[in-house]
Amino acid sequence: MFTISGISVSPGIAIGKAVILSHTLNEVEAKNISFSQIKSEISKFNNALIKAENELLKIKKDLLISQMGSFTSFIDIHLSILRDEKISKNTIDIIHSNLCSAEWALKLQADEIIRKFEKISNPYIQERKHDVMQVCENIAKYIVGSNQKISHKKNNSILVAHDISPADALKFKSTNFISFVTDMGGPTSHTAILARSINIPSIVGIQNAKKLIKNDDVLIVDGDSSTIIINPNSNVLHDYYLRKNHWDTEQKKLLTLAKIKSKTLDKKNIQLLANIEDEADIKSIFSKNADGVGLFRTEFIFMSKGKMLSENEQFVIYKRLASNLKNKELIIRTLDSGADKVINNPNTESQNPALGLRAIRLCLAEPDIFITQIKAILRASIFGRVKILIPMLSSINELNQAKWLIKRAKNLLDAEDKKYDKNILIGGMIEIPAAAIHIDTFAKQLDFLSIGTNDLIQYTLAVDRTDDSVSHLYNSIHPAILKLIHNTINAGKKFNIPVSLCGEMAGEERYTKLLLGMGLHIFSMHPASILRVKKKIIETNCKKNTQIINKILKSDQQSEIETLVSKLNQF
Amino acid sequence: MIKKKLKIKNKLGLHARASNKLSELANNFNSQTFITFNDERVDAKSMMDILLLSIAQNDEFQIEISGDDENDSFKAINNLIDNLFDEGE
Repeated sequence: MFTISGISVSPGIAIGKAVILSHTLNEVEAKNISFSQIKSEISKFNNALIKAENELLKIKKDLLISQMGSFTSFIDIHLSILRDEKISKNTIDIIHSNLCSAEWALKLQADEIIRKFEKISNPYIQERKHDVMQVCENIAKYIVGSNQKISHKKNNSILVAHDISPADALKFKSTNFISFVTDMGGPTSHTAILARSINIPSIVGIQNAKKLIKNDDVLIVDGDSSTIIINPNSNVLHDYYLRKNHWDTEQKKLLTLAKIKSKTLDKKNIQLLANIEDEADIKSIFSKNADGVGLFRTEFIFMSKGKMLSENEQFVIYKRLASNLKNKELIIRTLDSGADKVINNPNTESQNPALGLRAIRLCLAEPDIFITQIKAILRASIFGRVKILIPMLSSINELNQAKWLIKRAKNLLDAEDKKYDKNILIGGMIEIPAAAIHIDTFAKQLDFLSIGTNDLIQYTLAVDRTDDSVSHLYNSIHPAILKLIHNTINAGKKFNIPVSLCGEMAGEERYTKLLLGMGLHIFSMHPASILRVKKKIIETNCKKNTQIINKILKSDQQSEIETLVSKLNQF
Repeated sequence: MIKKKLKIKNKLGLHARASNKLSELANNFNSQTFITFNDERVDAKSMMDILLLSIAQNDEFQIEISGDDENDSFKAINNLIDNLFDEGE
């Protein structure tokens, strides 16, 4: 028994047997052939090309039918790589010149192409090497006949793979794996998106999972602690079965909460909104009965296409979302790229990207990007309850410029004779300490506020949560953070505008009672957390907690705050 | 043979989708087509080769087209570049 850890991208516990997705190209060996075998190797290769192409074409067709349009551009790029003579012709040349097997020739050629990609300094182009790898891997599988028939697998299987390509992801969507474990990938990888969309616990970025795990090993995937236990002993296994049962019953119980009104015991109505990244997330809004979308992170639709989208392309997406949401509200955050989410700009290599040209700063520096997006949002605004949310405001100057550009976008639409909601509400993210400290000025000029705790904490405490050496200093209930959140909520009351909280803190039920006590009435979070938080809300009596809350807000001792928060949760 | 200089005007330059469109177009014609950029000469029918040139907005490259349909091919390629690869910017 041993334990490895990675990045959890979807919560829960899975217990099952490992099914390793072979990585054919990494495993092929050099094999020489005789002159007379050339012909058969070439036809093996050509047949594999045709099969791989047909598979992609079929996936593309299925995607178009199931309206998952955002994935088709990946498939197009894979198709053109597959059809490129660099692969189709050069591999055959190598079979001839080196007298080697088709799979070995393909491996040599793939390595050669990948080396070229690695030399390119533009990170966007360099990333395309993964596409080349995935395409060649698929061809190789057809050559050696190792394309696993995954539909006929046993129950309780956990897929262990080097990486999951978008094409794989779509194939696996309809199979019944109970968990995914991969070497590569991060929170926004295809594996992560897939795992969340079918709601199974998964861990990515393990680096050497495929080396450490063998077929049929018993695995416990613990999405809560981001660990995988390999071949657990019977005590641990027993313990996890209990935990899993507990988790499963909790999940079932939670589902019954969907229909219940989100109201505290002292009759305060609390709005629960969802943070979404993709149109597909909309299903969970209805299944969890959320009040709407509190944060639509538009940068992810750009990232999934790998380029800026035109006004019309964006409009189509926003319009579909707005009308599918029926009468629920849709808060669209304008582009928040830069820093960790670079779209396609080779000039964004900054020493300190979190403090660099990103979000509204990037949009003000490149007003065309901003105006294009605002026009698309405005045009969609007549199809639902759409609001605009501006990220990373640090000065009133930026807000004024952004508002001026929004006005310009409206004028352009007037000139084009296009309809939009003339009174569309404009809100601001409060995530830079300067804005939280100077909150009254912002509250006066905005229609609503949204507290982004992830960045607010990172900037206030100067802690990068992804840096292991300081991550323990990241603290959501540091007295300074609580003060900034409290000030923002109070400014909302003073100027009579709604305040929501959309950072991860909103989805952590440990803080629900605290935030309610501080006067927060709107929570926006990952859809998976909504019912857990709702459970906390309906058992909270804010009036009864006033004393403890006041103590917490007055305290300057971290340990005292911790104890009081735990005490809050005991009732 | 046609040998001309062309300038890339679309904002994102020859990224994956644009490279794809350009190579698909070149493949629609019989003529041989080559692109030279930074002293590197590649076959314009290969999407990956074009992509690997890493051509950005406002970069100039040389195009050589030779074959029975070279005039039509050049016109089509020129159009694609002028129309910003239908990306709108």
